[in-house]
Order: sequence, then structure tokens, then C-alpha cells
Amino acid sequence: MADAAKADLTQEEKERFQTDALPLLDSLYSGALRMTRNPSDAEDLVQETMLRAYRAFDRFEAGTNLKAWLFRILTNAYINTYRKKQREPLKVSQDEVEDFDLYRELKNHDPEMSVTPETIVLDNLVDSDIIEAIDDLPEQFRLAVVLSDVEGFSYAEMAEIMDVPMGTVMSRLHRGRKALQKRLWEVARDRGIVKGPHPDQADAKS
Amino acid sequence: MKEGCRRTLERAYLILDGEEITSAERVTIQEHLEACEPCFERYGLEVEVKRVIARLRGCTTCPDELKAKITTLLDQA
Repeated sequence: MADAAKADLTQEEKERFQTDALPLLDSLYSGALRMTRNPSDAEDLVQETMLRAYRAFDRFEAGTNLKAWLFRILTNAYINTYRKKQREPLKVSQDEVEDFDLYRELKNHDPEMSVTPETIVLDNLVDSDIIEAIDDLPEQFRLAVVLSDVEGFSYAEMAEIMDVPMGTVMSRLHRGRKALQKRLWEVARDRGIVKGPHPDQADAKS
Repeated sequence: MKEGCRRTLERAYLILDGEEITSAERVTIQEHLEACEPCFERYGLEVEVKRVIARLRGCTTCPDELKAKITTLLDQA
């Protein structure tokens, strides 16, 4: 089994891995946590990813994007090992997602709303609300949104990481964002942020 | 939503995400957004949602024990 294999790296490669890959642990852990939604699984996944990456580091093409390379290994490890034991993500009806229009919801909620106060709804959501909404997304959508909007990968890098064509990346990202906006709207409603108009809050915005 | 609006907003994602786009298409999209208020506001909303999600960037750090464990494992690997 590959896991038992010793890394066959030159001293220079070993040092380069330590210098270049270890600083990316925060990003990898953050990505792993959003994939597994569970700190203990995220730790195992990051550890496995780093060991796999270390053993394969002689095949990493120097000068290319190391973070994207590590995320590709992370994503593969997640899909092969951890996905099976994950809780089922929220079932989202495809039509419901395609039809969801945050703009229309906000306008129906308060026809007087212009673009700027709409941000008040979003700014009133705390980070845990956003995490909750992301965690509820179906896996492929969640991955696309996290890779793009949290980690800042380009479409081409995401195509590499997820091993799908660029068109698939774009469509997953599009549908993922729609689904996320729907969840954010529901979370905002649950938390009473959009229960009634809040005219005073226009001034409270910094 | 009109087909032209839907198409414009789809392509506007490329601008939102900093992807390469021809200057001709960029102009076409910008002209549409300037002329069409719902599209302008919808695009503004996409910008806001992306900004809010980006707040999560860098806010989760890898636990120190895990960093130490990985460093040790790499030394043995």
C-alpha cells in the first residue's frame, strides 16, 4: 500500500516541501473542514493529504501552483476515503435552486430596498451563519463555492482540482451560488434579520 | 428574466471572478449593466455575496497540535 512507502526525496526536495507546503496547512485545514464538516475528520484528512503529497513531491512540477496541487490531493483523498462516511447533505431540488432569485426575494420583502441596504441583510449574518449555509450545500456545489469564493482559485485551477471540464466548474459554481443564496436567505429569515423592514439600519451601516 | 439578461449575468460571473474576458465582451456586459437596473442590482448582489463568503478566508487556522504532528510524521516519512 502506498501509505507504507518511504518518501524518496532528495534533501533539497525535503527542505523545499517543508518551506513551501507547511505554510499552506491553514488553507488545507480550512478546506478540509468545509469538505468534511467535522474537525476530527478534517485533521485526519489533512494529515493523509500531507503524507501523500510528501511521498509524491518528486512528481510536483516546480514553478507550478503548489496550493492547487495540494488541494487536488486533498479533494481526491476526501472523495476516496471520507465521503462514504459523511452525513447526507441537504437534498436540494434542482428546479427550486435554478428558480431562486435573491434579488426578487429582497424586493418582495421590501420594495423600497435599493442595492446598498441589501448588504445590511448580508452583513448581519455572522460567520457561523455563512458556514452553516455552506455546509448545507450538496457536495459538488459546496466544493465549487469554497474553492472559488473562500480559497480564491481560478476556474482553470478548479478544473484541475475537481478533475472536471471548465464548463462543469462554471455550472457547479453558478448553481452552488444560487443554492447558497437560497440558504442564506432562509438563515436570515430564521434569525429574524428579514422579518420586517429596518429603516434605522441604513444609518447603522459603517 | 429575459434571455439577454440571464446570459449577461452568466457571463458577468467571469468579471466577478477575475477570469480572462475579451475587452469587447467586457464592454458589452458593462453597457448592459449600466442600462438595465435589475441586472445592475443583481450583479451588485452577487458581488456582495462573494464578499461576505470571502470573510471566511483565513479565519480558520490549522490546530497547532496537528501542525506539530505532521512535522514529526514528515521527518519519519
